Amino acid sequence: MDWIIELREVDYAVAGHAVFKGLNLKVAPGQVSAIMGPSGTGKTTLLKLITGQIAPTRGEVWVNGQNLASLSSAQLYALRGRMGYLFQNGALLTDLSVFENVAFPLREHQQLPEATLVRQVLATLESVGLRGAAALKPAELSGGMARRVALARAMVTQPEILLYDEPFAGLDPIALGVVLRLIRATNDALKLTSLVVSHDVHEIEKLADQIAIVADGRVIISGSPKALSESRDALVQQFLTGAPDGPVPFNYPAPAFDAHVAAWLGE
Amino acid sequence: MNAIAMIRRIGQFTHFGLQLLARVAVLWQRPKLVVEQVFNTGARSLSIIMLSGLFLGMVLGLQGYDLLRRFGSTESLGTAVALGLLRELGPVVTALLFAGRAGTALTSEIGLMAATDQLAAMDMMAVDPLKRIGVPRFLGSVISLPLLAAIFAVMGLTGAHLIGVSLMGVDAGQFWSQMRASVGLNDVMEGIVKSVLFGAVLGMIAVFEGFSGEPTPEGVGQATTRTVVLSSVAVLALDYLVTAVLL
Repeated sequence: MDWIIELREVDYAVAGHAVFKGLNLKVAPGQVSAIMGPSGTGKTTLLKLITGQIAPTRGEVWVNGQNLASLSSAQLYALRGRMGYLFQNGALLTDLSVFENVAFPLREHQQLPEATLVRQVLATLESVGLRGAAALKPAELSGGMARRVALARAMVTQPEILLYDEPFAGLDPIALGVVLRLIRATNDALKLTSLVVSHDVHEIEKLADQIAIVADGRVIISGSPKALSESRDALVQQFLTGAPDGPVPFNYPAPAFDAHVAAWLGE
Repeated sequence: MNAIAMIRRIGQFTHFGLQLLARVAVLWQRPKLVVEQVFNTGARSLSIIMLSGLFLGMVLGLQGYDLLRRFGSTESLGTAVALGLLRELGPVVTALLFAGRAGTALTSEIGLMAATDQLAAMDMMAVDPLKRIGVPRFLGSVISLPLLAAIFAVMGLTGAHLIGVSLMGVDAGQFWSQMRASVGLNDVMEGIVKSVLFGAVLGMIAVFEGFSGEPTPEGVGQATTRTVVLSSVAVLALDYLVTAVLL
């Protein structure tokens, strides 16, 4: 099987602190895959590696059969032109209207006749239910709406790969249901590959075809949601059931309580 | 800041400046983006520049009149004020005001775009943020600063005329004819060279600080302060250098 995204033995360190050590990840085309893991395990960093925003200290990142390290910046931009990326906060351009935000990648890269562009932008906005909001500014949108506009902007160029960074964070149940359905519908309608980074266990179990859990700088387990829920690994179980204590401790490392008090008082 | 950090920062700034210059083709590829920035940085600074120019001219009129009266040559007031404004005060004061008004706005705008992932989002849409955001703002400064300096000088002359001629009674014919006789094209050129140079340096500093600052609220604040401080020092130091070379 050909993998559309593949990370081979990737190490990544920031200021001497190792984020990933020998991480391997394979993403199959045409599916919704999810990367899960406790906060602070570098899930967003993983997306940045896949999009070439940062380079691994060791190992290789392959996307669409190309090794990112071997690409010139023009080739990297060409590859990114075939990817969509949904930022956690939407990252809409604040000085442009909703319509112009969605039109932005088209105006920058394709010389479309205005009539075609307007149709395409409004149709994409319609698919996220926000055609009526086309004239609004990003500041006038709720968090859920902003994320849907960002999704429309990521979809409008008809990418082959869509990456989602925490698409469910901070959404109310209705907006969450809408985004969940949109991710699945977009994936199936456009026949693309979706990679979702999240720590929302229940949403991901409903949505994803494949799940990989990242902890301790590597992928500790990957497979279908069903296979994962049957895993006996203590960390996997803690994560999936949301137990407060386990391999990931509840307490941040600290000295004994009385010693801590004394140290704090400078005795 | 220790010496190594300072040298590294100078290196970053030089590297950044070269990257900006390598992308100036935006000027004829996307002229609309540059025009927008000439409006944002230039047209929006007009009122502060005009008002300051008028007051500075009025002060020059008073001081110049008082000085020249001691030598009995008040009819040279026009020449003195015009030379001062065209060669020095026009470009320098305009640049200092511009750093405070437009430079800070540029740095904080770009810094906030970085803090809210807008620059990263452009990068992910295969749009070079330096080219789309940085270069038009840099070119906007290069174009608008000389224009503002010219307007500043005109307003200054108006102010000096108002005080010298209308209030102190210097002969209007003398005021203008002496000026025309002794102010040459090279005086005007000196002002133009300076203000284009200041525009380039201020634009580069403001854009650099915006792109390189910490993408946090404190980081944007600090970057904005650095823009004003660096710009002011750079303008005065450069002014000396250019004057020494041109005189």
